[in-house]
Amino acid sequence: MNLEEYIASGILDSYAIGAVSDQEVREVNCLASIYPEIRQELDELMLSTENYALLHSIEPPAGLKDRIMRQLTFEDADNTIVRPLPIDRDMPADATRPYTYKTTWMVAAAAALAVLFFSYFLITQLQTNQKTLASLRESNDSMQLELKQMRTSQGQTDQVLAMLRQPGARTLELRGNEKAPQGDMLVFWNPSTQQVAVEVKSLPTLPADKQYQLWSLVDGKPVDAGVFDSGSAIQKMNRSVGRADAFAVTVEKRGGSPTPSMATLLAMSPVA
Amino acid sequence: MKRQSSLVSESVLIEKLVQRDQKAFHWLYDQYSPALYGVVLRIVRDEEHAQDLVQDIFVKIWKNLDAYDSGKGRLFTWMLNVARNTAIDAIRAQKSQPSAANAIRTDEDNVHVVDRQHNTQQPNPEHIGIQEVVGQLRPDRRQLIDLVYFGGYTHEEAADELNLPLGTVKTRIRAALQELKQLFKS
Repeated sequence: MNLEEYIASGILDSYAIGAVSDQEVREVNCLASIYPEIRQELDELMLSTENYALLHSIEPPAGLKDRIMRQLTFEDADNTIVRPLPIDRDMPADATRPYTYKTTWMVAAAAALAVLFFSYFLITQLQTNQKTLASLRESNDSMQLELKQMRTSQGQTDQVLAMLRQPGARTLELRGNEKAPQGDMLVFWNPSTQQVAVEVKSLPTLPADKQYQLWSLVDGKPVDAGVFDSGSAIQKMNRSVGRADAFAVTVEKRGGSPTPSMATLLAMSPVA
Repeated sequence: MKRQSSLVSESVLIEKLVQRDQKAFHWLYDQYSPALYGVVLRIVRDEEHAQDLVQDIFVKIWKNLDAYDSGKGRLFTWMLNVARNTAIDAIRAQKSQPSAANAIRTDEDNVHVVDRQHNTQQPNPEHIGIQEVVGQLRPDRRQLIDLVYFGGYTHEEAADELNLPLGTVKTRIRAALQELKQLFKS
């Protein structure tokens, strides 16, 4: 604010001789407490007014003092009681304020901390649950897969069993030659239904691009009887074999070969 | 100011007053009663009424010492305020009664009579004489100060009374106070 303008407005002069409203008194008091320039001007004007008032001083009549003193109560001068100053009386009220303030903050901080810990607890729980769920899902998936495999193998086994239960089914054992000394497998064949299945007991594991191929020898000529893997389950061949003098196994490229590679002949067994 | 030299121990005095010390009251009365009585008399213009009011004022001051805040001004300023407000309230109450419809007289002769009557009883010979100061103050300005300070007139009431625009009243109060300030400075 413009202090010079405010001072020149005359409000301080009016204040000094008591011509302002209560509202203006508060305003001037407030501004005087903020601006030293206003304070100084106001003090000078008040002093001038007081001096002017003092010019009118008149000694009151002698009896007035006694009249007034009869209306007042005094403390015994010899027994002076030290009264607490107003500021002391206000002290307890003031003293409790920072305490309350502190308590409020402490409660707020404690609450915030509790929320923080609880949040951390929840997050940890959530993570644990998520991990558990993931592992359950994984084991569930693997169990599903296993179940599927078992169903498939069960189906095949059932088919083979059904095939074997039919009259005329025969079982032949094929043993590995010098190229596969540990080689041992069974061939199930039913000439009347022309169905063939194999069960590998032990054959060397083949690279991914190779497969075993079963041949039936009819009148000295090899006839394709289907491909199979080295897995242990009974595998039904998808070729029909009506006649066979013998069965042989070669290693061929995946999917089979029209003619056997004699170099990879592993096993051969005549049909007894 | 000269008066201030006698108020060096004002804080000590206040402490004693708050303790309701009798000696302190003697000092307070001796020091300030002429000023308060003079102002009250100037406002109510009746000696007996003024004495009653001064009694009320000192009782009021005695009872309300706790309300006095030394941070807001000197003790004398506060006491003068109490005295002036009490006296102005009294004449306002009087004015509102039809039987005592005496208007506040601002004629200078009357003031001078009172001044002359009591001039010999001025407690402090160091004070600049009222004639001396008043003689230097422009009459229209002094009239306005008296109307407001001793009559309790507001700006509007003074403007009505003196038949002046409100702005002129405000300007003249400012000029009067500034003149007064200079008079007491010299």
